[in-house]
Amino acid sequence: MEQRLANSFTMTVNDKQFIETALVSDIRVDGRRPFDYRNLTIRFGSEDGSSEVQLGQTQVIAFVTGQLVPPYRDRPNEGTFAIFTEFSPMADPSFEPGRPGDSAIELGRIVDRGLRESRAVDTESLCVVAGKLVWSIRIDLHIIDNGGNLVDAANIAALAALSTFRRPECTFGGEDGQELIVHPPDVMEPLPLIIHHFPVAVTFGFIGEENIVVIDPTYHEEAVMGGALTATLNTNGDVCAIQKAGGDGVLQSVIMQCLRIASVKAGDITSKIKNAVESYNTQRSLKKIKRHNPSSAASKEESRQVNPETKSTQQSCDINSSASTLSIGSPEEQSETLKDEVKLKHKKRKKSTSNANSS
Amino acid sequence: MFILFKLVIYENAILLLKSMEVDRLDGRTANQRRPVVCTRGVLHRAHGSASWAQGETKVIAAVYGPKAGTKKNENPEKACIEVIWKPKTGQSGKQEREFEMVLKKTLQSICLLNVHPNTTTSIIVQVVNDDGALLPCAINAACSALVDAGIPLKHLAVAICCCMAESGHVFLDPSKLEEQTTKAFVYLVFPSSTMSVLPQGSEVKEHGIITSVTHGVMAVDDYFSCVKMGRAAAAELSDYVRNSLKLKAGNDLSKAG
Repeated sequence: MEQRLANSFTMTVNDKQFIETALVSDIRVDGRRPFDYRNLTIRFGSEDGSSEVQLGQTQVIAFVTGQLVPPYRDRPNEGTFAIFTEFSPMADPSFEPGRPGDSAIELGRIVDRGLRESRAVDTESLCVVAGKLVWSIRIDLHIIDNGGNLVDAANIAALAALSTFRRPECTFGGEDGQELIVHPPDVMEPLPLIIHHFPVAVTFGFIGEENIVVIDPTYHEEAVMGGALTATLNTNGDVCAIQKAGGDGVLQSVIMQCLRIASVKAGDITSKIKNAVESYNTQRSLKKIKRHNPSSAASKEESRQVNPETKSTQQSCDINSSASTLSIGSPEEQSETLKDEVKLKHKKRKKSTSNANSS
Repeated sequence: MFILFKLVIYENAILLLKSMEVDRLDGRTANQRRPVVCTRGVLHRAHGSASWAQGETKVIAAVYGPKAGTKKNENPEKACIEVIWKPKTGQSGKQEREFEMVLKKTLQSICLLNVHPNTTTSIIVQVVNDDGALLPCAINAACSALVDAGIPLKHLAVAICCCMAESGHVFLDPSKLEEQTTKAFVYLVFPSSTMSVLPQGSEVKEHGIITSVTHGVMAVDDYFSCVKMGRAAAAELSDYVRNSLKLKAGNDLSKAG
């Protein structure tokens, strides 16, 4: 019991009063205005379907994976998706490992409602064999740093990961044409999910007696605020979900104002997500082009069989670097004849031994 | 002319055979590890944090501590280390428990446990991507996070992975595909080389192995050749770790307050 108390974050009375009085003059502790979002950075991992979002000090990682399963009985031709939220103990000393707590479940439910009930993710395209096999998409959200406003960051991470996820192509083949073959990514290009729109969550906090509204509260402001409102909207002007679970009562006019601001912010965030996804897709297709023979699909197969070893990357041994960005694989060389391949390998071995010697 | 043509083919055949001797999928030599990217201070709330990437394998580690009190079954005379391993997707299973146990025992041997008795230091490891050599990557990340948090340590631990191919060759730092297709592989953890003021003429003492986890079957001689290769690689890696951790020292204020 003592340990739990030692872990939780308590604010002093001075801190609380400072935040409230500063807000009366429209100043927030980190220098933002009441309706400014923190800096949003969206990065992607090396695999499809993994994203890392940083919203100010809050960091969330999302992974999307897919599996073939039998469908639910009442929806035989629709795929399924499920969201699993993990409040990692590394995010906050008060997060306990093990079963998700109330706030983790609430966050998962808000993100889930935004995606599922607004039909953002097209589930009918996930059906492979009606009534027998459908794709089940699993979204894992890991909160790794709690800087406040986890809902928004987790929602953006989920959307970004879903946009870059690719599921393997399935065709019917075999002897009788009834066997289902799941093609690995290097044989047939995997397919992206069909996402109709982006439901973006925008969270507002109500602080103080006059219920001053702030957008994107930090964890200090969350400890002070009397109530919170999360509105999930998309750029089409649809309200996908609204969550206001208890807290101080708020005037209707204030809620309407919040919704109006939220639709503007949703537009900003959607364009940021789309830009990030686009640049990721461009990089991904550049990598693919360099790997395969650009002449035709048939020679793709041939070249794969003849030169299985040329899927190699040149990497240098970084001895003294402590870079903070992920390095993407350097260009690969394709060779047509066996002779060239041998020369290539000889060159690469020479290079790598000279690297090892120079280090 | 005809003889010249034959010689050219013969040369190419020899080159091909030579290149096939140590043939790794990504073009590395047997003794070459993947490039390492180590970043400290990745997280804001944690007292110490680090991210360690070896090629495509990436792990984030966070440290909270020392916190007051130890768990029930732990010795209150010493500091207690608690490890939580978070896999990329899915529930924590037996594999994760095993990693937690190995990591805990490894870190217990490098931490100075008598400095803060009756305290708990929690290390949380999050797997971001697994492309082979996951446990060594996590051990390296955890050590860097402990340095970032300022937990007193005897020395750093440096972990690498060596694998034994069917052909009898020993490869350093295998990728996931190589790990799955080789006969056996071993995770080795060595203490990092100490840079102390030694009296002139004395030799550096032989350092032992802190942790060794093997998978698969290998002969005793093969194991020793893995250890030899691993020790050489660890010495080089520990220089890199020392340089990269030195760069950021002294600027950060304590977050434990």
